[in-house]
Amino acid sequence: MSLRVPVLAVAALGLGLSLIANLSAGPGGIGPGAVWEALIRFEPESYDHAVVAFQRLPRAVIAIYMGAVMAVSGTVLQALMRNPLASPATLGINSGAALAVLAGAYLLDLGIETQGVAALAGGTAGFLAVLWVARLAGLSRDPRGLSLILAGALVSMFLTGMANAFLLADPVRRTDFLGWVTGNINHVYAERLYDFWWIGAASFGLLMALARPLTLIALGREKAASAGVNVPRVRGLALAAVVLGASSAVAVCGPVAFIGLVVPHMVRPFAGAGLARALPAAALTGAALCLWADLVARTAFAPHVVHTGLILDVVGGLVFAVIVRRVYLAPAGAAR
Amino acid sequence: MLELDQVAVSYGKAPVLADLSVRFAPGRLTALVGPNGSGKSTLLKAVMGFLPVQSGTITLDGRPIRTLARRALARRVAYLPQENRCPDYMTLGELVELAGYARYSLMGGPSDRDRALFRDALETVGLADMAHRPVNALSGGQKQRAWIAMVLAQDAEIVLMDEPVNHLDVKYQYAVMDLVRSLTRDHGRTVIAVLHDMNLTSAYADDVVMLRGGRVVAAGPVAQTVDADSVSRTFDLEADIFVRDGRLVCLPRLAGTGTRLPEVRARTA
Repeated sequence: MSLRVPVLAVAALGLGLSLIANLSAGPGGIGPGAVWEALIRFEPESYDHAVVAFQRLPRAVIAIYMGAVMAVSGTVLQALMRNPLASPATLGINSGAALAVLAGAYLLDLGIETQGVAALAGGTAGFLAVLWVARLAGLSRDPRGLSLILAGALVSMFLTGMANAFLLADPVRRTDFLGWVTGNINHVYAERLYDFWWIGAASFGLLMALARPLTLIALGREKAASAGVNVPRVRGLALAAVVLGASSAVAVCGPVAFIGLVVPHMVRPFAGAGLARALPAAALTGAALCLWADLVARTAFAPHVVHTGLILDVVGGLVFAVIVRRVYLAPAGAAR
Repeated sequence: MLELDQVAVSYGKAPVLADLSVRFAPGRLTALVGPNGSGKSTLLKAVMGFLPVQSGTITLDGRPIRTLARRALARRVAYLPQENRCPDYMTLGELVELAGYARYSLMGGPSDRDRALFRDALETVGLADMAHRPVNALSGGQKQRAWIAMVLAQDAEIVLMDEPVNHLDVKYQYAVMDLVRSLTRDHGRTVIAVLHDMNLTSAYADDVVMLRGGRVVAAGPVAQTVDADSVSRTFDLEADIFVRDGRLVCLPRLAGTGTRLPEVRARTA
């Protein structure tokens, strides 16, 4: 217990350092000192300050938003579904939102703002489709919840295939979206973050208010109901918050997979199972991780900039395999 | 007083409880016994409102239980499901603290009185010095006591338990039943527990409700209710019922197979 108290302080410090490191990295030799100057005493005349404030800072803020929202969404989904593989990416939210953006742009010629709204609708539809398929596949008779994850994979493949079809159909506009659809942090989309940041903030606020009943639901629906939780209402509110929050992040950065799945597992041993502490810890950790992924994407192959989503996909794929091994191939009960 | 009047519940077409009427006396430990599928767990779930009741009424002190909101019900009735699973890394202290949810305000947490209650609950189950330990690191018997501590910490006057000694070895079965009985004797709770073992029932329960096919075969104080006839009609089983050390023993007859040790029988007879 005593070990856990400083967890949030350590995570916050880690995020601060990650932000400085992220803003300092890159060509031009802008050191942490100059970054600090640019943030505290911004000089409009300074080229270095302009790079920090108008290029790197928007990227960093997008990374923080995406990382925090995805990590929180994954933590809540894993608790609500009582499934260690649940996340916005594995339950169809990401692919649904991505397809809706492409379909909106290609079929309806939606502008950049309305594409964001399409992402919210698409994420919701993708998630509901996964729940529906999982129910058909017999989720209620499957204590380990594998059918939910398989339904998520199935629906995601279908939705991603449709999204690819749109990309292939129009070579002219393909390049606009090719980067986005692999999950990318790009300051071009800072406008959309400006429109949507409040969705993530409201989602986080609501989930924090529901932290205790959500923790109870992680013990089982009947146990939670017997302790006084209105399970359908809490579950409905929390799922709406998660789906809209994660979809808003997809609207800004495209479907990024790794964070929502893995950060909850990284945070849990230190922050515990209680969501009142696990949610802020996940938000801080997810944000820091995205800052580092962005840093690697910008510097590893300099002068070329790799898509942040690709870095996260490679690492995420490996970690996914480790989690599957630990959770599903462990002797029954050992990993719980 | 918890009372079921002409309650019918069915899963699809198959009736599980058929016009079942029973009342549970306050401050007593009532055992629900019967063969698999006789409706014991269903009865508890119907009381908790987890299953739709097709007809009849379930009342708590005369008030229909379905008119109580979840929070109000949780302050009066606690429930221990048959299978309990705790998330990794949740400590015993955190688990017990969650039990007070129905008394907390939206943003508030446990009061001083709640904290005293949690300490008492852990003390009662003998795990007072383990509050910081993860529940999943406890042994099977300790885990079951942890869940009972959570039920105690909920501070409800009625406690429903679905097979509280399931999966426990014989020694822990008796230890946990000692604890369950102390809930009625020392804490004034009304306990309704699904049990499988007639000997545990006879040793610990005040009252017994014997179910078969969703109907009550016999109900009342253990000493007057459990006999060869009621056991036979409930379980379709011939058994000898006799008194040993001041309690009823239920010994099923062997139907030809099984091991008989004549010299041992001669020694103990």
